[in-house]
Amino acid sequence: MDPQTLQTTGLTLKWLLTIAWLLPLLGFVVELIGGGWVWGRYSKNAAYLSVMCIVTGFVCSFIALMTWGNATEWSALKDHGATHGTSHAEPSRHASGVDAHGAPKPAAEAAHGHDDHAKPVAKDAAHPAHDDHAKPAAAVHVAADHAHGTPHHAAPKVVFTGIFYRLAQFGSLDISLSYYIDSLTLVMFTMVTFIASCIHIFAIGYMSEELTDNYADHQVHTSHGHLHRPGRFHRFFSFLSLFCFSMLGLVLAGNIFQVFIFWELVGVCSYFLIGFYTERKSASNAANKAFIMNRVGDFGFLIGLMIVWTWFGNFQFGDLPAHGQTQPGLFSMVRGNDGQMKLHVPESGQAEVVFKNQDNHIQTKPNGEQRTIPYWLLVAAGLGVFGGCIGKSAQFPLQTWLPDAMEGPTPVSALVHSATMVAAGVYLVGRFYPMFTPEVLLVIAYIGAITLFLAATIAVVATDIKKVLAYSTISQLGYMMLGLGLGGWAAGLFHLITHAFFKSLMFLASGSVIYGCHHVQEMPQMGGLRRKMPLTAYTMLVGVIAIAGLAIPYVTLPGGEPIAFSGYHSKDAIVATALTYMNLNGHHLLFFLPLAGAGITAFYMFRLWFYTFAGEPRDKEVYERAHESPWVMVGPLVVLSFFAAFCAFGGEKGLLFKLLLDSEPASVPGGYVAQTEYLSQGLLNLKLPSHEAIHAKHDRAGTLALIMAFVGAGCAYLVYGVRWVNAAEIKQQFSGIHRFLVNKWGFDEFYDMLFVKPTHVVAGWCSAIDRVIFDGFLHASAKAAVKVSDWDRQFDETIVDGAVNTVGNWTFAIGRSLSVVQTGRMRNYVMFIAVGLLGIFALLIMFFPN
Amino acid sequence: MDLSSYLLVGAVLFVAGVVCMATKRNGIGVLMGVELVLNGANINFVAFANYTRLGLDGQVISLFVIVLAAAEAAVALAIALSFYNNHLTIDVDQANQLQG
Amino acid sequence: MNDTFWLLTWIIFLPTAGAAGVALIKKESVETMRAFALAITFATFLLSIYLTWGVFDPTDPGIQPRAPELVSKAAGGFSSQEIAKQYGQRGVSTTWIPGWNIEYRLGYDGISVPLVLLTGLISFLGMVASWSIQKEVKGYLILYLLLETGMMGVFLALDFFLFYVFWEVMLLPMYFLIGIWGGPRREYAAIKFFLYTLFGSILMLIALLMLYFGSTGSGDVLPTFNILKLSAIGQGLIPNLAYSPAVQLTAFILLFIGFAIKVPVWPFHTWLPDAHVEAPTPISMILAGVLLKMGGYGILRIAFPICPAGAQAACLVLVALGVISIIYGAFAALAQTDFKRMVAYSSVSHMGYVLLGIAVWKLTDTGAADGSRFWLQGINGAMFQMIGHGISSAGMFFMVGVIYDRVHHRDLNKFGGLIGLMPLYGGIAIGLFFAGLGLPGLCGFIGEVFVVLSSWNYSPVLAIVAASGVILTAGYILWAVQRVYLGPEYKGPHPEAITPLTEREAFVGLTLLVFAVILGVFPNLLFSKMEKSTEQFVSTMDAGYQASIKPATTTAAITNTK
Repeated sequence: MDPQTLQTTGLTLKWLLTIAWLLPLLGFVVELIGGGWVWGRYSKNAAYLSVMCIVTGFVCSFIALMTWGNATEWSALKDHGATHGTSHAEPSRHASGVDAHGAPKPAAEAAHGHDDHAKPVAKDAAHPAHDDHAKPAAAVHVAADHAHGTPHHAAPKVVFTGIFYRLAQFGSLDISLSYYIDSLTLVMFTMVTFIASCIHIFAIGYMSEELTDNYADHQVHTSHGHLHRPGRFHRFFSFLSLFCFSMLGLVLAGNIFQVFIFWELVGVCSYFLIGFYTERKSASNAANKAFIMNRVGDFGFLIGLMIVWTWFGNFQFGDLPAHGQTQPGLFSMVRGNDGQMKLHVPESGQAEVVFKNQDNHIQTKPNGEQRTIPYWLLVAAGLGVFGGCIGKSAQFPLQTWLPDAMEGPTPVSALVHSATMVAAGVYLVGRFYPMFTPEVLLVIAYIGAITLFLAATIAVVATDIKKVLAYSTISQLGYMMLGLGLGGWAAGLFHLITHAFFKSLMFLASGSVIYGCHHVQEMPQMGGLRRKMPLTAYTMLVGVIAIAGLAIPYVTLPGGEPIAFSGYHSKDAIVATALTYMNLNGHHLLFFLPLAGAGITAFYMFRLWFYTFAGEPRDKEVYERAHESPWVMVGPLVVLSFFAAFCAFGGEKGLLFKLLLDSEPASVPGGYVAQTEYLSQGLLNLKLPSHEAIHAKHDRAGTLALIMAFVGAGCAYLVYGVRWVNAAEIKQQFSGIHRFLVNKWGFDEFYDMLFVKPTHVVAGWCSAIDRVIFDGFLHASAKAAVKVSDWDRQFDETIVDGAVNTVGNWTFAIGRSLSVVQTGRMRNYVMFIAVGLLGIFALLIMFFPN
Repeated sequence: MDLSSYLLVGAVLFVAGVVCMATKRNGIGVLMGVELVLNGANINFVAFANYTRLGLDGQVISLFVIVLAAAEAAVALAIALSFYNNHLTIDVDQANQLQG
Repeated sequence: MNDTFWLLTWIIFLPTAGAAGVALIKKESVETMRAFALAITFATFLLSIYLTWGVFDPTDPGIQPRAPELVSKAAGGFSSQEIAKQYGQRGVSTTWIPGWNIEYRLGYDGISVPLVLLTGLISFLGMVASWSIQKEVKGYLILYLLLETGMMGVFLALDFFLFYVFWEVMLLPMYFLIGIWGGPRREYAAIKFFLYTLFGSILMLIALLMLYFGSTGSGDVLPTFNILKLSAIGQGLIPNLAYSPAVQLTAFILLFIGFAIKVPVWPFHTWLPDAHVEAPTPISMILAGVLLKMGGYGILRIAFPICPAGAQAACLVLVALGVISIIYGAFAALAQTDFKRMVAYSSVSHMGYVLLGIAVWKLTDTGAADGSRFWLQGINGAMFQMIGHGISSAGMFFMVGVIYDRVHHRDLNKFGGLIGLMPLYGGIAIGLFFAGLGLPGLCGFIGEVFVVLSSWNYSPVLAIVAASGVILTAGYILWAVQRVYLGPEYKGPHPEAITPLTEREAFVGLTLLVFAVILGVFPNLLFSKMEKSTEQFVSTMDAGYQASIKPATTTAAITNTK
């Protein structure tokens, strides 16, 4: 592809995706303003506008995907199609590229040869992880385009990145809104807009009860009986639009800071939508919980951002022109263009990661030293960012908000659980992948494994139809995280996409059930509904089979394709990665937990289906009133069930997987081997599996997972389908475990005790400190001042005034006593004169004799 | 006769006057004492005028004193008369309104 | 005596003239008075807009206006050192008290202009919100306008003495506004406010005199109050004249306490909840929106530039105090049951970010290359936070006032369901509260996040503690929103009084919300106004610190050679 084409393609993609991104925002604003005042409460205009926006967005995204494909001549598909779908050295594309270093390219090819069963990666000598001369893969650099799309690497990986506008600039620090477009972005855009479109359309039907001036909410009791309020149809759709806008912005984001911005926006949209029934205490509690739990994760995210910002001075994912030259993005800085970190161990001993430029040269400071970041800080940054993902994707230990989030209307649950919100966390792990060190990945894997098992066990005992789905979402997200953490980058994201389809399908189906049953959500009140709502039931069954990962064993399509729905392929990929990882590193739990999870998943999903749709109705009243939903709701179900079944068609040789694979970070395909200098630093001895290694284990892992799935499904059939075993008796038998699971492992109580209550206690202390200590001090000093002035007054009154008065009194007393001599008699006076005169004379004579 | 003889006479007159003023209860008596004192002083003035360089000044002053004594006697007698009119006595011990 | 001189003078004294005008209006014609006062504040606002976009030149890093002899050179044509030495030629002045060399010196730069604009805006909106005042309207309006004069004066004064005078001028009307038109405990609150601030003023006065008498080397030159010249002395730019590091530290501590009380910084903050709670709504808006910023502005304009060595020595304490304010304020807000008090404590928390951003002055750099970029970011973040908080907190107080005017109580546990009863009010209020929460796209986010991002370079531990504030902030805001706006029904007294927003109230709320959104989405609008000045600030401070820690003789030698 010549630079000219690249630039045009970049521009086209940018604008298409920008339109797709901003249209929902426009919809939001118009609906918010127009909804209440202009259109009135009976108008569906808000919904139509919102649907129009998102469908147009989908069209734009789809065109963008096509444009991208045409521009790259669908090389992503061709190359992988030729081989086994596991070799990613892409020799043909190397040939077309210009090697920046002029280095020969045999190493990679030799190492990743096309034979299916590559040698174990550990012995793979072709991964000189620590030196400068790169593998030729991805070594091509196309001159940066200053105006817009800067192709990251012309081939094999085409990335378009550029800036929308600048938020702020401080010296060389620059924060902008920018975009980063690769195949992952495009696939996500297409997926999100498509699923969101279906959900929007579904919601027109589901939310139609809100088209009234007097909506009766039977869950809310006021002092005058049930709550009656005006409908809020338009508000729902405006927030739905905002939600889509935020999610699309997150996917389009070209830097981690922008991700954070939209991350928060996604959070607040979920807050509004989960708390859509604002009158319900449970809803507003759930909304608060969702937001605050997410904020806990964001706290970690923020720490990650701070580290990245301080040490890298940059938030951009990709390379961008700045200050007249190309400013390497984060990914280039950490991994250059060969995908390998360069580790430097200075005399002082702490390992450091050396920053590279986009052409693999080492970055230096003005004083000539290498620019580096301490290895442990990079680990901390990775863990911090992943902390955000834990919150958003409801991973252990922040998973508790998600089941509560079922308080929102069902279309919201569908959106939150499939295409947006929870997908954001997984997406970010995928996007930020080059920044994660193997240690971080291990943490991700463990978190994922724990989550998937924990959530699956709770799902087994949940009776609310939406809660079961909620826990299954958490569990499946655990799978994705596990896959990503084990080095199966594409596998994890593959599962993200497939899951989005079948989970949105199942949620919408459950919405249809709830709608048809007039807001009954408890499965024990259902049963046999397939006769009343067949379309819902069978589309749901597609989703159940997909998520359970069932396939028909020993029967393959021409070309060796197993006959299976999407979930089979993606879960298979993850389990295969796990098996390989276990063989390389130990860490057995990371394999056995997902394997067990596969069985449990099949069990609880089929349990849900049998409970709801099969057998005899348990609650006659509910059953009698149940009805199939209108076409506006069933239609999306049918469409989605098609995609849930076939979106992963072809598995790892299929279209979707290969599209994703095109964006895979350069470090992934070849696996990763810990070098001795890493180990001397006390770092973990971790090896990440290469594609070849995974492929070698694929069949075995797939078989195991399939067996587990069948066992699970079979159990569910026995217990809930033919009711061969009485579920109540089992419950009786294991009442302790049951209670434990129903209590969700006690996390809510635990957190309440460990965090919420102490926070309020500390808050109380702070407030009390203000009142008692600071104000107390103030009041005490005020009192002291008053006291001192009181003393002052006493002093004035007793001592100063006293002295003056005493003198006066004395004078008066003396005068009074002298008045005795004033007889008034002249004779006395004469006597005094005479005597006085004599006295004076006597004195004169005495003292002045002469 | 030398100066001291005159001075002796003057002194005797003076002391007699003072004693008279101090002892007499009759207002007229007191007035007479005053006259004695004044005249004792006059004698001194005249004596000094004659024996010292005081010259005519002493005699002039004594003339002033005589005039003054006359005026004083007139006023004092008027007071005494008035006092008598009010109190039917001229006993100075009764005139004690100046008592403190 | 040029146009700019009169423009600045008008900005400051137009409200005073208005106050005189109000005094001439008959006591009975209340509406006329209100309208007149509103027109005056609006005219002042327009003048401040004209100053910002019509007169102010954002490409010039130094104080403006420049003397004619400097105009010929392009705005950015001077080095930061040169600009710092142009203390005589920047700003406009006329002699005021010649015997003491006190001048009436005014000027503006990228740091003060946004604050002047904010003052104009909040004063105007506060006046719109003042229709709820029914008692002694005439006196209220007069004091209100005088207050505005004081605030504008503080932001425009370049003579330390003049600054001090305006600082005190602002104090007195505020005392009466709280003490007469306030809530039930108004006397207590007013006295507390007054004494606290006066205590700070006294310390400032001591420092003022200290710096004044130190500002002359020989007998034949009068000492000066010119802030720019004092700064030049503090930064060692004047030959044979410098404040020693010990003097700088003493002066800095005195000045800082004076300003910290205003910000307010923990542990000098307890006047704030009382004053804010008892003050009438428009005055709460002014208090939170503008008055608190005077503390931050004072630190930036006076305490730091005059005492670089002292500031550098005290930075760690400042950062720690900032972080404590953030966390402590958030915790305290969480514990409140009085709606307005909760908002007041949120101000303590948010202003902690301002101090944190100002103080992250690290001389060497940990990660990326050159030293002062993160501090520059911190300063910018702090400035943005000041403006952003000015808008969001004024909005929050107004929102509290709106409901208080109706139901006459503020007990968080006795609200509920307001969004159903007053949808527009609920919408605006949630928007403004989310701006306070620091939601991206609204003004609170940018300042907070930029400050926090800049702080890791200074101290990772404190940065982490500061970042944990995001959780607590979300906690108290959401909890309050839930208790007030959400829920099935209103639980408190006077439910019959809950009526929809009036147009006047909607105007105030929407204006603030629009500003919050604009600043949140296009922060560069603000940054572009102040970036040159903050860069100038950072570079002169770095140089000033280096100069002032050197022995005096060397300083003189260096400056002489220039």
